[in-house]
Amino acid sequence: MKTVVVTGATSGIGMEVLRLLSREGYRVAGVSRTAEGCERVDVPDVKWFVGDLMQQREVNRVADEINAWLGEVSAGKLYALINNAGCARNRYTTTEDGYEQQFALNYLAGFLLTHRLLPALLHGGRVLMTASRSHMGIKVHWNDVMLRRRYNPLTAYKQSKLCDILFAKGLNDRYSEEGLRAYAVDPGLVNTAIGDKSGGIVKFVWSFRKPHGTDASVPAETYSLLCNAKQPELLSLRRTGVQS
Amino acid sequence: MNVMITGAAGGLGRAIAVECGSRGYDLFLTDIAPNGLESIELGIKRQFGVNVITHACDLTHASAVDIMLADIDRMGLAFDMLINVAGIDFEGGFLTQDREASVKIISLNDAATLRITHAMLGRRNKVRFTVVFVSSLASMFPMPLKAEYAASKPFLLDFATALRQELKADSVNVLTLCPAGMETTPKATKKIAAQGFWGDVTTNALESVARRTVDRALRGRTLYVPGVFNRLLAGLGRLVPRSLAAAVVYRRRSDAQRRWMNTEE
Ligand SMILES: NC(=O)c1ccc[n+]([C@@H]2O[C@H](COP(=O)([O-])OP(=O)(O)OC[C@H]3O[C@@H](n4cnc5c(N)ncnc54)[C@H](OP(=O)(O)O)[C@@H]3O)[C@@H](O)[C@H]2O)c1
Repeated sequence: MKTVVVTGATSGIGMEVLRLLSREGYRVAGVSRTAEGCERVDVPDVKWFVGDLMQQREVNRVADEINAWLGEVSAGKLYALINNAGCARNRYTTTEDGYEQQFALNYLAGFLLTHRLLPALLHGGRVLMTASRSHMGIKVHWNDVMLRRRYNPLTAYKQSKLCDILFAKGLNDRYSEEGLRAYAVDPGLVNTAIGDKSGGIVKFVWSFRKPHGTDASVPAETYSLLCNAKQPELLSLRRTGVQS
Repeated sequence: MNVMITGAAGGLGRAIAVECGSRGYDLFLTDIAPNGLESIELGIKRQFGVNVITHACDLTHASAVDIMLADIDRMGLAFDMLINVAGIDFEGGFLTQDREASVKIISLNDAATLRITHAMLGRRNKVRFTVVFVSSLASMFPMPLKAEYAASKPFLLDFATALRQELKADSVNVLTLCPAGMETTPKATKKIAAQGFWGDVTTNALESVARRTVDRALRGRTLYVPGVFNRLLAGLGRLVPRSLAAAVVYRRRSDAQRRWMNTEE
């Protein structure tokens, strides 16, 4: 049985990915921000880990717990890590580490979790990053990555998603010869609560965009495709571009 | 440049610590929360490579502060700047609040701030020293349903203004920051959202308040009220009779409070 870990699995895209992969016979684990969050999810036999992934201390703790669990159930191997937890913010807000929250959750959390689970993944494992098409036309602001000089919440969001794509590329450059493959998924516009949780103008704008989004079960198919496909197939898909 | 920041694990303290770290200042950070201190220490060291020392301490306990000071003296540290951020807030009627919790607001916001300021002035770099007090826009009005907190803030403003005069000749500058709401915690975000229009126009951007506070303090300024609209309110606070201001604030706050309490998870 192949083991899959999905972060941000308590709502939206993550929850549908969890549901689909569970139905397809994977051993699924979810990471939830709060203990109550997991109770909302009606997918059977999910192993839950609870942690606020915005805080690096928590990412490290969750990683320790996942590694210990993998040791028990799958000889320490992880088939797929799906870094999907994400947020949108309306203003500059920081984490306990003093990082801008969107950058910390949408990018750094996945980076650190992957880093900590890497030994478990280097047996033909795959890493899926929930990216977005919003990265287009955006660059990384290397001199002020957290955008403290001129904060624009949307720019911060887009940049964090661009970093997810660069991270997937970086993983492939470094580890594809050791059997690991990384993918960035553009889920398209999806009708989820992501913007509702931010408040202010971002919430307002999202209330107009959201109804045009697809149901989260649609992009879930893309994740399933990437998990099910044999790797050579994936390479050809990659050339033609996977669209959700 | 050595900077001490109190309340450094909280939202504003963290943002100011990051600002100082980005300028290359070395930091001594204190807060009551040891975990939060550990996180911010790591985050700042990673991003900026400056020296960061942390010491968790309850500033309302003189003996705990003495232990921290002994630590500082053992290391032989002298400071160029003190930023007093530590403070607590409470929303609700005076009688809904636990008695000692109510007193604690004053013992931390005022008494402990005096304690640490006195101690750090004794350990200052004699060439030039800067003190920042974090008061609040609330210092300009009496604020029903936040009465103890709002009353603790004019104390700081008055004290700072007087202290500045006393120490002018010793190259010490004192700045008082009087911000309105900022999105420092998830709870603060909710309260701001519940205030609707008023929340939006009075809320200050955390990153720019942090930057400008340090800028202005070093430039020798006295008072910083961030935001044009808030400066207007501060001016109004001086004109309007106190009891009228209290009545207006009460109406607005009781509405907003009902709204954000309803959105509480
Ligand atoms: N919706 C779209 O149109 C769209 C488009 C492109 C990309 N995306 C990306 O898709 C991903 C999923 O978003 P979604 O649209 O499905 O939104 P969502 O329903 O809000 O899902 C986000 C998930 O992340 C979790 N999360 C939030 N903060 C967390 C934290 N600090 N620690 C751990 N988990 C946390 C949430 O848990 P709680 O509910 O407990 O906070 C939730 O389970 C995000 O990375 C987003 O950027 C979305």
